[in-house]
Amino acid sequence: MPTFLILLLVALSIFLIGVFVFRPQVTATRGGKMTAFLALFALPLLCFGMGTSSELEHAKSTKFCLSCHIMEPYGKSLRVDDPQRLAAAHFQNHRVPPGEACYTCHTNYAMFGGIKAKLGGLRHIYVYYLGTPPAPENIKLYEPYNNRECLHCHAGSRSYEEGAVHTADPDLLPALKANKTSCISSGCHGVVHDVASLKDLKFWKGGD
Amino acid sequence: MLSTSPLERQLQLSGIILILGLLAEGLCLLGHGPIAFMLFVGVGGILFAVGIFLYLYSLLSAGVAHSKE
Repeated sequence: MPTFLILLLVALSIFLIGVFVFRPQVTATRGGKMTAFLALFALPLLCFGMGTSSELEHAKSTKFCLSCHIMEPYGKSLRVDDPQRLAAAHFQNHRVPPGEACYTCHTNYAMFGGIKAKLGGLRHIYVYYLGTPPAPENIKLYEPYNNRECLHCHAGSRSYEEGAVHTADPDLLPALKANKTSCISSGCHGVVHDVASLKDLKFWKGGD
Repeated sequence: MLSTSPLERQLQLSGIILILGLLAEGLCLLGHGPIAFMLFVGVGGILFAVGIFLYLYSLLSAGVAHSKE
């Protein structure tokens, strides 16, 4: 739901609640009691629910993730002009939605994965504001990257299932599906963000 | 400004707290960073919970007082 409509509902709720704050005697009538229930219980719950949903949706945006200064190099790494770089190739070719690029690859596609991703985000905020944040190039994932996140989109696709490198070794595809061999292991798709080496690279200017 | 009747006073207090919660929510929805998100969930959520709890409590206490009469 657009933020504008939620703000309109918030304004309407404030107005109705204001009536009961300044004229509480209106609750003496039956109609007043019903309106009070609407204004002091139902509408605030609705506003909070819709607001939470909107905020959670907004928290998936690339803009939201890159709003922390420490994430700037990661945002820059999406624009490196090099198709061998996994994150840049996905972002620039819309293999992930550009507006939700970070979330698409870094959420967890398991049960309660979205909640787990949000809790991870809260941990980021804690470390960023109250802890000692590491330098961007020293940021590590909490857990090794799981192939499940790649296979959420790539499993079953022709380029993945029939790709020359993927089919050269008959044991490779089963090992990838079982997460025994990582997609981002060295020699495969090993260069993901690599923010330590951004200095001397060319960047793609399009896509804004 | 607050009413002398206990029930009406509780309704007014609940309303004031809910208005603060709604204002916090409105401001946070206009913001775009993680801090806005945290304030929305933390400050907004607590104000909403307290305001709604106070309203429901005022209904309960009014019901108890009414049955005693």
